[in-house]
Amino acid sequence: MVIFLRNKYSVCPGCSLLCDDIEIEMKGTEIDKANNACIKGVSRIKDTKKLESKIDGNEVNQDEAIFKAAELLQNANNPLIFGLDNSTTEAQLEAIKLAKLISATIDDNSSFCQGPIVNAILKNELKTCTLDDVRDYADVLVFWGADPSNSHPRLNSKYAYYPRGKERQRGWDEDRTAIAIDVRESSSSVLCKDNFYQIPPRSDGELMTALSSAFSGKMPKVSFDIETQRILKLSNILKKAKYGVIFAGLGLTYSQTGIETIKNFLTELNTYSNFHLIPMVGHYNMRGFNQALYNETGYVNRVKFVKNESGNLDIKHGLQYSVLEQLNNKEPDTVLIIGTDPFTSMPHSVAKKLKEVPTIIIDPCETLTEKIADVVIRSAKSGIECGGNAIRIDGTCVELVPIINSGCLCDEHIICKIMEEI
Amino acid sequence: MDDFGKYLSKPEHEIRIITYRDVFQSSAAEKSKFSDEYKNLSAIIQLDKKDIKKMGLKIGHNVIVKSTVGEVTVQLKVIESDIPHQGFAYMPNSPWSNAIVPLSDDRSGVPEYKMLHATIKDAKNESITLIEELIA
Repeated sequence: MVIFLRNKYSVCPGCSLLCDDIEIEMKGTEIDKANNACIKGVSRIKDTKKLESKIDGNEVNQDEAIFKAAELLQNANNPLIFGLDNSTTEAQLEAIKLAKLISATIDDNSSFCQGPIVNAILKNELKTCTLDDVRDYADVLVFWGADPSNSHPRLNSKYAYYPRGKERQRGWDEDRTAIAIDVRESSSSVLCKDNFYQIPPRSDGELMTALSSAFSGKMPKVSFDIETQRILKLSNILKKAKYGVIFAGLGLTYSQTGIETIKNFLTELNTYSNFHLIPMVGHYNMRGFNQALYNETGYVNRVKFVKNESGNLDIKHGLQYSVLEQLNNKEPDTVLIIGTDPFTSMPHSVAKKLKEVPTIIIDPCETLTEKIADVVIRSAKSGIECGGNAIRIDGTCVELVPIINSGCLCDEHIICKIMEEI
Repeated sequence: MDDFGKYLSKPEHEIRIITYRDVFQSSAAEKSKFSDEYKNLSAIIQLDKKDIKKMGLKIGHNVIVKSTVGEVTVQLKVIESDIPHQGFAYMPNSPWSNAIVPLSDDRSGVPEYKMLHATIKDAKNESITLIEELIA
């Protein structure tokens, strides 16, 4: 085992904040401490176990597993590649190449998560900013359907609420106002005290419409129980913000069938104020996948590559190419899952369809889905055992420098070897 | 009376479930999804204390939560909050909640993670659903 620790600080791949101030302490060749990291980050960094690759549940060496995976993918007529949100940008680009090579459908978790908002940001349809801008300028923070204390634990201490910034020198109690809009009380909403607005599920759009009325001096009306005075107070805070940021959580995204309401609300709000929106993407490099696929195809997810009669590749896109629709309709005849665990993150009524098709897993960790997989290829944990680049929650590119070298191949090299075999 | 009661089916109560994320559960998942720590933080459902009383359920007991696509046995907990949330229950996003989350009917492609219609009833002596049973 070789220790790579050259820099004083390491980057945590625990979530999409990609905290870059982690102080690693080693005990021999093992990571002993990950100082400054949150509880989730510490677990991601420290709990690195050496696991074996498998074919049909039996341990094999990695090359055998790669060869078998290549064979299955080569023989597939309609393969699906899913995941990659916990892989480096370099691995994501190789996976897109593989998808082109074998005419596959490719999708990631953003397909049933923050994809629509990231798509709008990449198309400049939603005004956004960096986390450094938040720290330096933001005076009004809106956690809308978001609970960063649990999803992005260091957001408030490192960037949003507590730190002093260039134009926020007087501290959080004087310089920043935090607002939570959510369907349930959370650790983050408690922080906002009287500025917590609890609304019924799927009432987010209705509240936006009411706030837009209040912006233009009309009396806001909603069908649910909330004092009009509170809506007027909220609209006043939003209108008077010098630099506002909406942290759009899954609660907000899931409340909408599209994002037109969010776009219209932000446009309306910005006729009076200066608001930005940051999507609370979870996995550390989901934005990287969206960006990489967008650069290649013009779409952030749900893409199928098809060879046309002249041998060129056509790009197809739509809901029918989402991982959920694909599996639910039993479309793929082989599935390659990279760095994600469908049995943890998606409805089991869909995940169980994986039992009916050859399934290949590339993952450094023991997952539930691998229990039903035909091939499991163990990879290095990116950011810890191998390096690369990743895109932070705000679109900033961050370099991951490996801390240790376990001798395990990273996702990128495994995908390259599969392509070589094919 | 007790002996007779065990032959009666327990009443089912309708509930709407909202899933959420918990940092301690996420941390446990990083260590092992097959651990007791992960199960104890995941296989739970939280109800308003008034709902618990009205439904005749007991905090700490196991309950069967059933939707149109599946059912799981999880432990009943209460949220110590001043803000009532009657009619709504909360479950951490986990394999247990995903066993009962259906796909949505709309064209968004997003499952019903934030508004899941289900029923809940006392599980009598049933144990919490094992993670291995969820994959089976």
